[in-house]
Amino acid sequence: MSAQADAATARARGSAVGRFVFRETLPYLAAVLGALVVAGLLLILIGADPLAALGTIFSASLGSLGGLGQTLNRATPLILGALAVAFAARAGLLNVGVDGQIYLGAICATGVGLLLTRDTPALVAVPLVLAAGFVGGALAVLPAAALRAYWGVNEIFVTVMLNFIFQYLAEYLATGPWNDPRSGEAISRPISFAAQLPILSSGLGAHVGILIALVIGAILAWILRRTLLGYSIRAVGDNSTAARVGGMAVGRVMLVALVVSGAVAGLAGGIEISGYYQRLILGLSPGFGYMAILLAVLGRHRPLGVVLAGVAFAVLLVGSDSLQRSVRLPQSAVLVFQALILLAVLLATSLRANRRLTVAGTPGSTP
Amino acid sequence: MSLDLFLDPNLLRLAVTIAAPLVVAALGELIMERAGVLNVGIEGIMAVGAAAGFLATWASGGNYVLGLLAAMLAGALLCLLLGGYSISLRAQQISVGLGLLVFGLGFASLLYRAVVGIQFSAPRISVLPALPIPLLADLPFLGRVLFSQDILVYLAFLLAPLVHLLLFRTSFGLRLRACGENPRAADAVGVNVHVLRYVAAVAGGLLLGMAGAYLPLTLTGGYSDGMVGGRGWIALMLVILGRWFPLRVVGGALLFAYVEALQFQLALATQAVPSQLLLSLPYLLAIVVLIRIYRGAQAPAALGIPYEREARG
Amino acid sequence: MNAPTSTVQTDSARSATPAVVMRGISKSFGDVRALVDVDFELRHEEVHALAGENGAGKTTLMNVLAGLYQPDAGEIRVDGRPVRIGSPRAAIELGIGMVHQHFELVAPFTAYENIVLGAEGGGWRNGRSGRRAEIARLMEHYGLSVDLDAQIRDLPIGVQQKIEILKAVSRGARVLILDEPTTHLTLQEVDRLFETVRQLVAGGLTVVLITHKLREIRGIGDRVTVMRRGRVAATVEGAGLTEERLVGLLMGTDGAATARTNTPGEPSLTLEALRAAANERRQDAGESLLRLEGVSARGSVGDLVLADCSLDLRPGEIVGVAGVAGNGQRDLGDVIAGIQPIVTGRLFVGGRDLTDATVRDRLLAGIAYIPEDRLREGILPHLSLGETLVLGPHHALFGTSVVFDERRVDALARAVIAEYDVAAPDEHVPAARLSGGNIQKVLIARAMLVLQQARVGVLVAMNPTRGLDIGATRSVHRRFEGLRERGDAVLLVSEDLDELRRLSDHIVVMYRGRIVGTFQRPAFDPYQIGALMTGMATGTDGGPPNETGGGTGGAETTRPGRDSR
Repeated sequence: MSAQADAATARARGSAVGRFVFRETLPYLAAVLGALVVAGLLLILIGADPLAALGTIFSASLGSLGGLGQTLNRATPLILGALAVAFAARAGLLNVGVDGQIYLGAICATGVGLLLTRDTPALVAVPLVLAAGFVGGALAVLPAAALRAYWGVNEIFVTVMLNFIFQYLAEYLATGPWNDPRSGEAISRPISFAAQLPILSSGLGAHVGILIALVIGAILAWILRRTLLGYSIRAVGDNSTAARVGGMAVGRVMLVALVVSGAVAGLAGGIEISGYYQRLILGLSPGFGYMAILLAVLGRHRPLGVVLAGVAFAVLLVGSDSLQRSVRLPQSAVLVFQALILLAVLLATSLRANRRLTVAGTPGSTP
Repeated sequence: MSLDLFLDPNLLRLAVTIAAPLVVAALGELIMERAGVLNVGIEGIMAVGAAAGFLATWASGGNYVLGLLAAMLAGALLCLLLGGYSISLRAQQISVGLGLLVFGLGFASLLYRAVVGIQFSAPRISVLPALPIPLLADLPFLGRVLFSQDILVYLAFLLAPLVHLLLFRTSFGLRLRACGENPRAADAVGVNVHVLRYVAAVAGGLLLGMAGAYLPLTLTGGYSDGMVGGRGWIALMLVILGRWFPLRVVGGALLFAYVEALQFQLALATQAVPSQLLLSLPYLLAIVVLIRIYRGAQAPAALGIPYEREARG
Repeated sequence: MNAPTSTVQTDSARSATPAVVMRGISKSFGDVRALVDVDFELRHEEVHALAGENGAGKTTLMNVLAGLYQPDAGEIRVDGRPVRIGSPRAAIELGIGMVHQHFELVAPFTAYENIVLGAEGGGWRNGRSGRRAEIARLMEHYGLSVDLDAQIRDLPIGVQQKIEILKAVSRGARVLILDEPTTHLTLQEVDRLFETVRQLVAGGLTVVLITHKLREIRGIGDRVTVMRRGRVAATVEGAGLTEERLVGLLMGTDGAATARTNTPGEPSLTLEALRAAANERRQDAGESLLRLEGVSARGSVGDLVLADCSLDLRPGEIVGVAGVAGNGQRDLGDVIAGIQPIVTGRLFVGGRDLTDATVRDRLLAGIAYIPEDRLREGILPHLSLGETLVLGPHHALFGTSVVFDERRVDALARAVIAEYDVAAPDEHVPAARLSGGNIQKVLIARAMLVLQQARVGVLVAMNPTRGLDIGATRSVHRRFEGLRERGDAVLLVSEDLDELRRLSDHIVVMYRGRIVGTFQRPAFDPYQIGALMTGMATGTDGGPPNETGGGTGGAETTRPGRDSR
């Protein structure tokens, strides 16, 4: 379902939380369960024990403090990426370039981080690096945003192409000018120590990125619901023709929506650098871009749903890392599983939408 | 480095070879879109086609036909699934397409690892040999460029006029195009829109899977994750660039293939330019082309919109 | 229901058995009961008019006969045999074909391709062989001639209609249902259509004409079935049917619209305040509210869709714009609203040059626009009703504030629901859930808001009463007249000439993007206007003598054709 339809039908369906939980989440849970069953069958096919696999996933990701920290760290770029996609989707735009935006954000963050010295106070360094990530992401999406806003060029294509370009740029920098000869072929020099993101608590091993992600989520939610900009974005996303008739500057709204989207994704890149790797490396984004899209759809394009879905996926990712060791399950299996979940959820929501359609009929022209 | 570099017959020959999978993929997508079904998951479907094609050929000790069939079957099944979602469930076609994309990418990788297991060196097959057409292959310039390709490349370029004939000179094609332009009108005269769209999806899937198999069978001789490298997205663009006409799609494919081939050549010829910049060239070209093609592109009117008979308003 | 005496005199044995009998047909969509226990009978080779206002159920009934809908109850007999019509294809096999109000033609295909689609005949190759000879014969038999190789999108509506008829006939239709066939036709084209219908019947066809236009009912129907609110009110002979009887049947004895009971919302201070402000209107009548000077605009393919248009609207005026759809009316509206740029010429609102102003500026300046296509251009389908309502007024409502005050929006929505009698559960309902008529009410309320927010007000309304029933139409007309009293101006674009003649102070006619004529009240002669609408200079092609038509409202009194009055 479209982003607008999702978010709105969920809202308009009544305010009772209980009713909401029952009607909305039940098909979802059913779908996820279905996907789990299919995945379990696939695992059996490979000769693994699905229940043991499930156990490993949860114990690895949530069972220990270290695991929990890892999960929160992994959740951060997922949540931010998904928020980025969801925000643009509310304006009716599909940002498939989160990967590229993460890379350019990471590149800018690394660039600034390399320039800073040890003596720079952390209070200055960290925000600077994160801001660089923010700006980098915005720059990464700008060509696509401008082309879409003013020439009607479909942003899907442009952002996808830019993904490849920025990935190559990162590769060039990491292997060339910024390369650290001591560490390896495709790894850059480390950024200044001052620019490292602080951690939540020493036992947890998670950096504050997760808090940043949650704050961004809250800000985006506030923008969408309570500001004129948010109203414009939602209107444009629902019916851009009507929005134009209503005097909205549709091109400008689209531009802003995409730029914010890109900036948030770029911030994720900056956080990965500042909080996790401290260097520019290849493989910074192991498919976060596509995952972000899946998460946005699963989260019904609403900030809260997106956050929950992001955490769930992070559990899956961290858990499957350890699964790789024990069950020899490759990384790609996780992608398959995530796609299965999406397909299952799409199945459930489509079935329900169609049932509502045939029962009520569509209002509109007179008989 | 002289200008001859840009017109080197070997370069052009390579371009034609590289263009072949693009043509096949674009034709497959074109058939689907002409019927009104949008598939943005080409990238994933081609990946599965590549993996299936490679693995079947490798495991059978070099049976290319088997490889091709396996790839086509895989593509058809995935597009059947897409059809199920788009046509019968009336789900958002872009969401389904992206889901299939991710699924395809992951599944291809999984399949490869499952079949090949842990090997010391990556398994390889030999790329299809060139099949020079007698007489024509002896022509001075074109002989080398066009008529010394392998059989799959010939097939790819033959497909274009075939698809054109199918769409514009048969009643099947007329009905299929009607489904894409005005499904209500088609339904009113008794055309079974749903069935026809399914047929288009499966036919398109056969071609998309086949296109994926071209990569290991005619270009690299092996499989690696990410080998599709954006070709699926480019095929999607080629359909728009060609204004949904099969013969025009060929031109666009040759353009992109030329730039990709050129990038190899340039990388060899000069060390001054970083390889990554050269690698980016095809994608930059794509963006430039996009700006041009978005002037007045007339898509099939009902593209991406599910059809339901009792809908009103 | 009367049992009509048969006046059809033929020797055919078939005339004894009715062509079609529908008994006890009921159909509901959710909790909307579109058809309730309907009986309908169709005789061979008659022209049967199926009449009623919008929403009466006439199209639904015929959709059941044509296989598009399945009835919830009742039976259908064709030529005496009980049948089940499960699909349009099944209907065609039974010889029943329907030409819908919105044509089902594939625009980029040729006429021939459209006609034979689905039944192309062997040896079909790009229209060169197949069934061409057969189609040519049909064209001659029924007197329908059409250029078979022209593309649909290049053909005028009247020709497209003939192609639709050929489509049905070439598939073996013996019963032809025409759904509101005169919607986009001028009077002259309507006359030609009726000739065609008579030729079809002479060729052996049976025709059902679905219509809500009184003139058509009395001009062509051998028999008339009147429907009201999903039921059959009566079936009567066409001959000798007086207008009063017809109007009485259409309206029913209880003509007043039943008022809806709404839960009383809280008094909307905002709406009250706006209205109070609007009542202190400055009285400088005489100064032009909206003036266009030589305005031209280009369409999407670069052609001129508006050429050298000049208009002048004074306070308290209603100016009607007549024209066949597609002659630039829509562009005129878009240009005034600011959606389409002006290429040459100037536009003034209250003396200010707003030629290059944005849509937003024009809204703030008091130009209110009710768009043509309410679903595509008017509403935000999945957002709340309130959010659709303030789309446009929001500029003035929120000014430079960053915050979007949802409560204010909801309060406004509740007030509008109450005042305009909108059938909606609450203010949060997504706009797409409302019926067409209720959506139109919201759009009109929105336009009123814009007018009330500004000092000067011009309402540009594109077909505002299309699809509304008579009660709603009347209330819209009353609002327009209210605007006139307040000193606003209204530019009313409508395909309903009766409406224009009833409301306008003067009528301009558009043809091919130009304003080709102006008529001052009371000289609104429908035939002269129709002639300009179709591009003829003056006079008609052998139609009835001109009358000095009176714009006194009420039903149409002239008849087409050559009958004496």
